[in-house]
Amino acid sequence: MKTQDIVLIALFTAITVVLGLMPPITLGFIPVPITLQTLGVMLAGVVLGAKRGGLAMLLLVLLVAIGLPVLAGGRGGLGVLAGPTAGFVLGWVPGAFVSGLLAERLAAAEKRPARQVVAFFLAAAIGGIGVVYAVGIPWLAFVAGIGFKKAALGSLAFVPGDLAKAVVAALVARGVHRAYPVLPGR
Amino acid sequence: MIGSLYIGGDSLLHRQPAWRKLLVLFAAGIVLFVVQAPEILAGAAVAAAAILATVRPPLRALRRQLTGVAIILAAIFAANAVFADWGTAFAMLFRLSTLVLLALAVTMTTRTSDMLEVVERVLQPLERTGLVNAARVSLAVSLAIRFVPEIFARYREIRDAQAARGLAGNPVALIVPLVVRTLKSAEEIAAAIDARGFEGAHPSGSASGRTGRQGGTAS
Repeated sequence: MKTQDIVLIALFTAITVVLGLMPPITLGFIPVPITLQTLGVMLAGVVLGAKRGGLAMLLLVLLVAIGLPVLAGGRGGLGVLAGPTAGFVLGWVPGAFVSGLLAERLAAAEKRPARQVVAFFLAAAIGGIGVVYAVGIPWLAFVAGIGFKKAALGSLAFVPGDLAKAVVAALVARGVHRAYPVLPGR
Repeated sequence: MIGSLYIGGDSLLHRQPAWRKLLVLFAAGIVLFVVQAPEILAGAAVAAAAILATVRPPLRALRRQLTGVAIILAAIFAANAVFADWGTAFAMLFRLSTLVLLALAVTMTTRTSDMLEVVERVLQPLERTGLVNAARVSLAVSLAIRFVPEIFARYREIRDAQAARGLAGNPVALIVPLVVRTLKSAEEIAAAIDARGFEGAHPSGSASGRTGRQGGTAS
């Protein structure tokens, strides 16, 4: 790994922190306010690729653990990682990795614009929603003792916002890939 | 730089070494999930709140860190009260509260640098395998902290420019230039770091060098 990779990872962690600083958006048809932080999770994967994207999120988790208020709303510290929703934060690491993996395979070399956007969307949604929830929901169910079904039901409120973010992530990924591609292709 | 959640002071907790606090917190996490009696867990929650109080945290910081988790704990309490029983609901509420309050107390009394030192020590065995390199981890941490304000300033600049073009509220028009400019700056930053002779990124680095193949395996 070159110095530039370390710098890219650190800068993307910083971008994800900055996205969490934006005020949450409230949309009428979505029950919970949306923060843009998880957009950063999706973007880390689809822009940097699997390895660097996953490491950027691992770095973010490390910043949380050492006591920095880097999560949306100025939260952070071990209280977050000891809380019942820690799985949704820890899930960012494999989530960004999977997003990156899919983006590398499906989107990086795709020439047709519409197909590339769709491929980026799938990568962002499967990694940034599917994988993150696959870690967060069982974690919540176990830690809170409320069972898998109820944990999943409670998380459902966040899905519409996350899908909207995956659309934004796909469009951003395509724009970035055209202007300054760093995504490893295959 | 971004401020940390550390709160200066001289409480008993402040004076403990970071590793000891983390070890106790870890042990408490295990014990709390073994204990089932709501009465004992209630005592633990009161004790945890008392410990956090000795740190004398500002109310604003407490509110910011605890509001979100309080809402989730209330929802979990309600779910357990409806679908299980009051005993289970209270036990879970006190258990999770204790854990969160203790963890917050550790974070608020431990400097970021001390926490990072523990992380580095934990990583040491992994470093021998060549999987991680403490010098790189430290570099990445300090770079991320250093560039948050800069990227935030860049974000505000782009936001104002796009608003002037009538693109306010278009997240794609805002984030694409933010990401592209940030990625481009990485090249310069990396060149500057290499010019200063940062060793962690190369297999020959003396900071990591014990055996020949260190670091090279991770590239």
